[in-house]
Amino acid sequence: MGLLSASATFVRYSVEGELPPNFLDFAAERIALNAYRDIDDNYEERSVGWVSVLNMFDASFEYASFIAGDNVVLTMRIDERKVAPKVLKKFCLKEEERIKKERQIPKLSRSQKLEIKENMHLLLLKKAVPVPATYDLCWNLSQGTLLFFSTSQKAQTELEEFFKQTFDLSLMLQIPYLTAEHLLDKVDHDALSRLTPDIFV
Amino acid sequence: MDLVDLIDEKRFLGQEFLTWLWYKSEERGGTVFLPGTGDIQLVFEKHMLLEFGEGEAFEKIVCQGLQAELNEARTGLRMGKKLEQARIHLIMGEYEWHMTLKGSMMEFRSVKPPKTMAEGEESDDQEAVEGRLLERMGLLETATQTIDALFRLFLDVRLDQSGWQQEITSMRNWIHKSAA
Repeated sequence: MGLLSASATFVRYSVEGELPPNFLDFAAERIALNAYRDIDDNYEERSVGWVSVLNMFDASFEYASFIAGDNVVLTMRIDERKVAPKVLKKFCLKEEERIKKERQIPKLSRSQKLEIKENMHLLLLKKAVPVPATYDLCWNLSQGTLLFFSTSQKAQTELEEFFKQTFDLSLMLQIPYLTAEHLLDKVDHDALSRLTPDIFV
Repeated sequence: MDLVDLIDEKRFLGQEFLTWLWYKSEERGGTVFLPGTGDIQLVFEKHMLLEFGEGEAFEKIVCQGLQAELNEARTGLRMGKKLEQARIHLIMGEYEWHMTLKGSMMEFRSVKPPKTMAEGEESDDQEAVEGRLLERMGLLETATQTIDALFRLFLDVRLDQSGWQQEITSMRNWIHKSAA
């Protein structure tokens, strides 16, 4: 449901703070520093980074620039190795049984069980294939607004942190009340803050 | 006030806006006058979600059906519920958008902008791709700006005490008439 799909789902943010001078050079440098790094061939659990909106394998922006008109368009890609809880439980029980038989003991201690769980988790994580997720964004530089193409709260929190890490700028989710503040003149803000729900029947 | 409290305390604002917008669209048979733009067509269709109360008393209803059959949603209004989510068909000049608006958070969901180019005409060279991106962003921006302009219209009347009293009386009449 991204920027270029037939049907788009998004929320709006305002970008808080001043853009640094020579913004395009600054942005190019910061995006390159925070570009997506592949983890398919290593054992890292997770990787977050920027890729092109047109191609999730393009982290160097060779094919398309991240600038379109007065906008920065990027995709935040998150690849994560995960182990399903049921799978972890199965392998832990299997290992516990094996050790009990091997050592001829009826029960394992809590600490032994915890150790098995930790080891199994690492072992399974190494076998897991990273699952990719991509989230598009479109940042209008002149208006200081940003469209983020996901309504998932987890993805939004991830964006807020990663955007701050990349550009040193904060994002503020535009809920109706904050949109209203932007639309109204300052003199009306007081009246807006005093509004309480009305009954329509 | 931090964002979490703001979301919680002010969620009524977006819901009141959507409810007002439904009333506004039916007031003139699907046409709303937008200062600076002129008449636009705004039709509420297919899908609606209404909410009422909070905590343990929280209730919600989901209604799906053709425009003429949103009777349950209308009854919901009469029970004091407010619109939390609605599917809107927006027509401005030759262009049409379909979108689902979520009131409390002002989320735009499943926004279908107008088709402007046949698929065969799309080229993959860099200029064409940038052109396509810009066009798509422009179309989404038009949709958000139109919703903002409507929200501004709502805020102007909502903040004007006597104007709002008049508006809410008309809305109450509409709610009772349409649920009858």
